[in-house]
Amino acid sequence: MANGATGIGARVKRKEDKRFITGKGKYTDDVRMENQAYAAFVRSPHAHANVKSIDKSAALAMEGVVDVLDGHQLTGDGIGNIICGWAVASKDGSPMNMGAWSALATQKVRYVGDAVAVVIADTQALARIAAEAVEVEYEELPAVVKADKALTKSAPEIHDNAPGNLIYNWEIGDAAKADAGLAAAKHITEMEITNNRVSPNPMEPRSAVATYDEAEEHYTLYTTSQNPHVARLVLSAFYNVAPEHKLRVIAPDVGGGFGAKIYIYPEEITCLWASMKTNRSVKWTSDRSEAFITDAHGRDHISTAKMGFDENGKITGFKVDTIANLGAYMSLFSSSVPTYLYATLLSGQYDIQNLHANVRAVYTNTVPVDAYRGAGRPEACYLIERMMETAAREMGMKPAELRARNFVREFPHETPVIMTYDSGDFDANLAQAEEAADVAGFPARQAEAAKRGKLRGLGYSCYIEACGIAPSAAVGGLGAGVGLWESAEVRVNPVGTIEILTGSHSHGQGHETTFAQIVAERFDLPLDNVAIVHGDTDKVQFGMGTYGSRSGAVGMSAIVKAMDKVEAKVRKIAAHQLEASEDDIVIEGGEVKVAGTDKALGWHEIGLAAYTAHNLPPEMEPGLKESAFYDPSNFTFPAGCYICEVEVDPDTGTTEVVQFTASDDFGTIINPMIVEGQVHGGLAQGIGQAMMEQVIYDDDGQLITGSYMDYTMPRAADLPFYSVHHASTVCPGNPLGMKGCGEAGAIGSPPAVINAITDAIGNNNLSMPATPQNVWNALQAVTASQAAE
Amino acid sequence: MTKVKMTVNGKAVTREVSGETLLSEFLREDLRLTGTHIGCDTSQCGACVVHIDGKAVKSCTTLAAATDGAEVTTIEGLANGDLHPMQAAFKEHHGLQCGFCTPGMIMSGVDMVNRYKAEGREVTAEAVRHELEGNICRCTGYHNIVKAVQDAATKM
Amino acid sequence: MDMTGEHTIAAPREAVWAALNDVEVLKLCIPGCEEIEQTSPTTMEAKVVQKIGPVKAKFSGAIELQNIDAPNSYTIQGEGNGGVAGFAKGGADVSLEETPEGTILRYEAHAQIGGKLARLGSRLIDATAKKLAAKFFDNFQEHLNGPEQPEEG
Repeated sequence: MANGATGIGARVKRKEDKRFITGKGKYTDDVRMENQAYAAFVRSPHAHANVKSIDKSAALAMEGVVDVLDGHQLTGDGIGNIICGWAVASKDGSPMNMGAWSALATQKVRYVGDAVAVVIADTQALARIAAEAVEVEYEELPAVVKADKALTKSAPEIHDNAPGNLIYNWEIGDAAKADAGLAAAKHITEMEITNNRVSPNPMEPRSAVATYDEAEEHYTLYTTSQNPHVARLVLSAFYNVAPEHKLRVIAPDVGGGFGAKIYIYPEEITCLWASMKTNRSVKWTSDRSEAFITDAHGRDHISTAKMGFDENGKITGFKVDTIANLGAYMSLFSSSVPTYLYATLLSGQYDIQNLHANVRAVYTNTVPVDAYRGAGRPEACYLIERMMETAAREMGMKPAELRARNFVREFPHETPVIMTYDSGDFDANLAQAEEAADVAGFPARQAEAAKRGKLRGLGYSCYIEACGIAPSAAVGGLGAGVGLWESAEVRVNPVGTIEILTGSHSHGQGHETTFAQIVAERFDLPLDNVAIVHGDTDKVQFGMGTYGSRSGAVGMSAIVKAMDKVEAKVRKIAAHQLEASEDDIVIEGGEVKVAGTDKALGWHEIGLAAYTAHNLPPEMEPGLKESAFYDPSNFTFPAGCYICEVEVDPDTGTTEVVQFTASDDFGTIINPMIVEGQVHGGLAQGIGQAMMEQVIYDDDGQLITGSYMDYTMPRAADLPFYSVHHASTVCPGNPLGMKGCGEAGAIGSPPAVINAITDAIGNNNLSMPATPQNVWNALQAVTASQAAE
Repeated sequence: MTKVKMTVNGKAVTREVSGETLLSEFLREDLRLTGTHIGCDTSQCGACVVHIDGKAVKSCTTLAAATDGAEVTTIEGLANGDLHPMQAAFKEHHGLQCGFCTPGMIMSGVDMVNRYKAEGREVTAEAVRHELEGNICRCTGYHNIVKAVQDAATKM
Repeated sequence: MDMTGEHTIAAPREAVWAALNDVEVLKLCIPGCEEIEQTSPTTMEAKVVQKIGPVKAKFSGAIELQNIDAPNSYTIQGEGNGGVAGFAKGGADVSLEETPEGTILRYEAHAQIGGKLARLGSRLIDATAKKLAAKFFDNFQEHLNGPEQPEEG
């Protein structure tokens, strides 16, 4: 059934591209309803304050203002607080301290941007002008923005039920064993490592259009979501907006997500509720300034780590203490990011028997922090890979050699932090990357750069991550409030064309192409005969959406399961009509044939037969449409080796990434073109985090990187062409053997960049982002210490 | 309100607009040409780039009233029927993922190649990266965008 | 944001002190001041229009004079609300010293901005504050002395 041109492994051009390149994509802000009004939020300019009063009179008096609504009305109507859906308990067994989060604050605001009221008006401009006329009286309170400061005695308390701003104090691994391992070590590497706070910044700002049908008591929400079904579930079950059968959520074309569009934010809740209150369709579209103070931020860890090695460079013990900043409120998956998505990956690619991590999550007066591309895994990878490279330098070993001495080589491998790695060949990725990067030729390139007055450095990162986040029973045991399976439906129409309904959501990943490829291959049909339907809760039965690189390993597996059922039925129909044994039926070239004969039915004839039902096997139901739920048996473990080469200008600290090489193990690859694109994008975000991106608050909690003038993201001229390669092992855990590729680039690249720069400048003490100023300062420290010697 | 007359994608358009209406708003809301996107509020991201009298302009920093008498081309009007070579190259080289920055990238790319051709300059990768300074993409890491623009340059 | 400065004004200390306490003088000298109204001997209400970077805002706020030690020194505190643009607040310790050349006015000022102003204008706040302070003292000096030679530094 090989389908070379369009099947698995083919570089098929994307089916979805035509509408995007011709300007015909349909994003949420492109939706316009009849009788549409616009929402503008009144937001706190203070990081921490009591709300004394809200005077709406001036705004309400303006012509064209439909209503001004506040949090007392919202909670009065029974709209529930926003919740975190993953319960993480402290090590003493106490539950996490989740503070109340109302979509519109009533008593207290806890970060700059916290909404206190919403204006609904006939035009967007008018709504914004009227929002300015709403007078809110605040009583300012002291604010705290840094995670470590939030834990000090003098810090203001942000939520009454979180004494000392502590959300949880959690641990994993065996502290006594880790201590013993460190005590036995010949060499110990100790580092303080911060993972900088970043803003995801999908190019399409968030948007919502809510409509209430009074006669049906039914709501429709168009929104920029990575997971419309999860949005519907949460909006119904927790926020009491409407029961699920009275709420349709549509996520049309979505312009990037990177995690920021997983969560259900105050604005969507408010728009839905306001559409009922005003009996108008209500639209809200964020502008970029608003996105910086409302979209969940990512990362923001402060860690100290100790790693011990024996005389052969084998790791004897590893101990990590991390403080994670979760911002002012607990966003939907926030609790899981610095725990089950971070500390469980701290074993890296290495056989570490004695490992312990302690994580304290804290509140601060900042935007809530949640999953951003990689979510916890980049923080783990950055920590381990900075440690390994630094340890190698301290011990005078080659960084690649130290890593190789500690690689896991037997699978399955159980780590002390509850992961069971199922497959991988870390040596193969390392070797492939070293060859592609021409590591052997590096000294010559370094010498040549020195002649030009440049410092050239090379850095490694050997990452492993966990994708798929499953099985449901396991994650449920760890506190997840949802199951993490995926569902699919395969509909063969009477004319033989196929529609695939999937709970995965594509917002740039190219599902309309890759999902169609696995169907075209399976049934040996033209790609154009297959359509993918997603993003609408009225069309697709259920779904968990797209995040955590799960659409391939989980979403596609559900399609495979449904296709298994369709194929079984097709065989039965064909065997019956062609008077053959089911075992002799082959599906090939658009036909269903009896092997070794000229007896065949066209695929369309099978479709028609199933629906006319004139001649089906006895007892068979008419129709050819099957659905399936797929719940994986384990996480998947993409891994790889990245090598970065940089040149630093010692006079200015300006750093250029001159070469970036990736060797990834993603398991089976459906469409290499799309997979490479995913890696490119991930690398750009990782390099961005490493070199330029940082959300900065001043000490009073004012966000001072609130626009593209101040928050630096990579432009085309900041990045190189990437050298992307694959050395794959098949994942044993799912039918296609896939591991996931969406986040690897962002996970693996930051330590490679920083390792390369620290190699160039001869100072291991450098924090992200490696701006020219930070690099220059680190260089001056080297000069100063040399002068002192 | 001011009366503006312009040609948009080859069609004559006359509308009453208020003085503060931005061209991006005018195109999206009045003409419903929603291929022109708005990705920021400080004129940095370039998702809103259109051509005014053949030159790439950020429509989020242009007043509709100021384009009176101009010839405006948006992503919807770039090609007649078939794809423009730049559009085709973006598809061929996987130069887009979520598609949000794509209209602006394509319009900037076309303008750049036109200028370079007129001046007889080579469309190098370095030149493309430099010229796309005002267009931000968060998905592709720019690798395939640069390749697409260079390839389109050979076909325009 | 903290800022200190020193200006020599060719006028006797009493005249400088009186001017510093005269709302009409303050209205003329504060850049962008549209209205100022004395609400008590030590408090005023003011409306000031300012542009910081891309953000233009009309601040309405209260000014209070504290620690008054006439004619030597006072502390001037202000807080302005610029609506959606955010807020600005700050204060300055101002002291006057009599010298043969006139009066030396010294100030130690600190300011804080919030909301959209901070997000979009924080890079520019130092320069803007310095510019505004310079403008204020130019105006102040001009009011007391008539147009003068260009200011130092």
